[in-house]
Amino acid sequence: MTTTAAPDAGRSAGDVHYPVTLTTADGVRLDIAVPDGGDVVTAARGAGLVLPSQCGQGTCGSCHATARGAYRLGPHSPAALPPEQEAVGGVLLCRTYPLGGVQVQVSYPRSRIVDGGIGRREGTIEAVTSIAHDTVWLRVQAAPDAAAGTGVEFDPGQFVELQLPGDDRRRAYSMANTPNWDGELEFLIRLHEGGYFSGYLADLLAGRRPLGERIVLHGPTGAFALRESGLRPRWFVAGGTGLAPLLSLLRRMAEWGEPHPARLLYGVTAEHDLPDLPVLAEITDALPGFELVPCVWQPGPTWTGRCGTPADVLAEDLAGLRVTAAPDVYVCGPPLLVDAVQQVVRAAGLPDGHVVTERVLPT
Amino acid sequence: MFCFQCEQTDRSGATPGCAATRGICGKDESTADLQDLLVYALKGISQYAVRARALGAPDDDAATFVLYGMFTTLTNVNFTATRFVTLLAEAATVRDRVRAGYLAACAAAGQEPEPLDGPAAWVPAEGTDGLLAQAAEHGVTVGLPLVGPDVVAARALNLYGLKGICAYAYHAAVLGSTSAEVFAGVEQALDYLAGDPSDIDDLLGYALRLGTLNLAVLELLERANTGTFGQPVPRPVRTTPRAGKALLVSGHDLRDLGDILEATAGTGINVYTHGELLPAHAYPELAAHPHLAGNYGGAWQDQQQDFAAFPGAIVMTSNCMIEPLLSYRQRIFTTGPTGWPGVRHLKHHDWAPAIRAAQALPGFAEDSPEDRTVTVGFGRTAVLGAAGAVVDAVKAGAIRHFFLIGGCDGALPGRNYYAKFAEETPPDSVILTLGCAKYRFNNHDFGSLPGLPSLPRLLDVGQCNDAFAAVRIAQALAEAFDCGVNDLPLSLVISWFEQKAVAVLLSLLSLGITGIRLGPTLPAFLTPGLLEVLVAKFGIAPIGDPAADLESALAGAGA
Repeated sequence: MTTTAAPDAGRSAGDVHYPVTLTTADGVRLDIAVPDGGDVVTAARGAGLVLPSQCGQGTCGSCHATARGAYRLGPHSPAALPPEQEAVGGVLLCRTYPLGGVQVQVSYPRSRIVDGGIGRREGTIEAVTSIAHDTVWLRVQAAPDAAAGTGVEFDPGQFVELQLPGDDRRRAYSMANTPNWDGELEFLIRLHEGGYFSGYLADLLAGRRPLGERIVLHGPTGAFALRESGLRPRWFVAGGTGLAPLLSLLRRMAEWGEPHPARLLYGVTAEHDLPDLPVLAEITDALPGFELVPCVWQPGPTWTGRCGTPADVLAEDLAGLRVTAAPDVYVCGPPLLVDAVQQVVRAAGLPDGHVVTERVLPT
Repeated sequence: MFCFQCEQTDRSGATPGCAATRGICGKDESTADLQDLLVYALKGISQYAVRARALGAPDDDAATFVLYGMFTTLTNVNFTATRFVTLLAEAATVRDRVRAGYLAACAAAGQEPEPLDGPAAWVPAEGTDGLLAQAAEHGVTVGLPLVGPDVVAARALNLYGLKGICAYAYHAAVLGSTSAEVFAGVEQALDYLAGDPSDIDDLLGYALRLGTLNLAVLELLERANTGTFGQPVPRPVRTTPRAGKALLVSGHDLRDLGDILEATAGTGINVYTHGELLPAHAYPELAAHPHLAGNYGGAWQDQQQDFAAFPGAIVMTSNCMIEPLLSYRQRIFTTGPTGWPGVRHLKHHDWAPAIRAAQALPGFAEDSPEDRTVTVGFGRTAVLGAAGAVVDAVKAGAIRHFFLIGGCDGALPGRNYYAKFAEETPPDSVILTLGCAKYRFNNHDFGSLPGLPSLPRLLDVGQCNDAFAAVRIAQALAEAFDCGVNDLPLSLVISWFEQKAVAVLLSLLSLGITGIRLGPTLPAFLTPGLLEVLVAKFGIAPIGDPAADLESALAGAGA
């Protein structure tokens, strides 16, 4: 499978790009291409260069610079860029929209520009464990790194791309654990018949390949994350291995002792798809306000729990809920599930801002 | 949300103020609104606390909670809505306890309890959304149509000054220094504001009383700092890193720094200061730690770049936090009143997570090839120790003028004024500085004092928290010359950013100090009408052209 960020996390660039050259105080030149209608700060970030900036609204002045060339300045505060400075080429880069080639002089040295590109790290496959008939738990040990040290830093909800040795192909998987200083990464992966990475994992699982092989980790990246909205209840809705990032979020909440009431609606097709995951018990023990709600779509006769898809169960539970207890809903799973949950949430009258989504696409 | 409490207030619209879904500081709408509601709740606590204290039944724990709560609402301190929901629940509990204490004190005194309404009668709504709905009724501009903008501005001047006072008092309290006078003063001020005062003259008078209260708080804080860590001693501070594991401490809190130094002793981790903690190196008890390795980076607004480049763990204490970039969000920790969503908060002085991070991160691979330093430690004792020689130098004509150039730094390009002003001061003048504005010029070589080669021309008095020392130095000079502070060859060129600076400004005004140059902009929460009053009464003037302002100052026309 592949995880992708929510649709609004990306932005399609136009066909027209304008060349912008940034020159730092210590004389370093950086060339970027800014899409028509785009601003310099955003375009630079897209190119992996995080320029000093703060508000992104033309009012704090952090991205002040001087410019020559063809550009348009967007609305901004005169306190951040007084008219007399604007008259002599002063700009705020978050409000600078190139219309042609632009030469920018910034007042700080190159070292002040953070290289925010996607990281690359080596790792070792430490363990593969079967946790359901088609799902494995993969543990990877990141190698100590000159820049990162021994730890792995990511926001719970993010993912990395895994690349097997000697192969250019990558597959993206969300971490199921939390960032840590021991370099441990855990993943929940569904095995697909004929799948590229699935085949590799199946070989490991069957002992046809040895553990300990080196792989390459690209990332972390992704925008799926806990949102700060006070003490609103947090309801997590997962299907299949969409559970992985939700486990990461829940484990973070448990580690930090966050007091939000939390529920996990986890959907599977049949009982035998329910994973044997000790971590769920650990979360239940560590989070006093947590409730695990397994949802079985096609239950057998002995199943006594909730029936239906997680979206069905969510709809039942949202019905009649008091407005003051309206939860934030985090959903990760196949697009059909995500779409269904969005419809359920809308029908229940929750504002759009209450839903955080991540779509999981099989590969 | 509507917020206009700090210098970075959005001024792009017709009315200055951050009114979008996110303030310029990064504070989101929910957090801003919950902060307003918390201030309302703290007023309710104070309504009962004033009356209970008057009956001999003070609740100092409640008073400390009020200081902490107010501190969390300062600019760039806490951006975590969750924390404010929790604090609001605590505030209701504390208020109920203080009310019970008041009722018991009334019964003991045989007195009828005074019926109180407004914040004292606030009942917290259920859930975050309920609280947010309540908050809409308690923002800083409530009552505007009724009382007009000048009254709202005068109330804001008091509230923001009081926020600064509470922050300073909290700094003292964490070092075990509290005072009944300060607790009572804060409670009285919040009780006063709970009554929605609308007389502008009375409000301005109250603001000056708050300035006087702040002097008492700053004195308390100075005693707390020097009593705990010793009198500051001038010393050079290394500003280039050493090889080894590294932990960076930013903000203002000396106690947190001291605790971290003790917790990291013997671990091999080098501890660096950042921003307003630079002056910590002057305190003997802190400087005695051999692993206090130096200062890293610049003022607070540089933190995104400084922290991203720092190869170790970071602890953000007290205030001046801006949004952590993803590149260091897992290795930055908040403590005390600070907070940011998605950033680990260290409670109860448990530094273990930060120490673990510092051990796991690479640290500095090698010593920096250069060993650059800046000199700190010219606090009250050090400067007044040389006062006799300085006074003699003035009388002999070797020193022509004193400049106090200090306050907060910030991102606006206009703040280069302070660097230009300092660099253009004549060689026969003394520059006193405090706060983080000094990062604009403290790497400049100003030479030594004329006739006093042992004293540099730039004297770093300390943090903004050390404003009391600067006031005392000015007063001591006035005593030595047998004149008033306004008659000294002294110019105050102040940069402000947030509410601590408002408190200090009120203190200076309460001392009758006039002719202060203030920048880079004048406070957005002050209306033109109110500014006119302050300008007429105290001669506050905006900064202008550095050369012209300097010429004016040397000609004796104020700053």
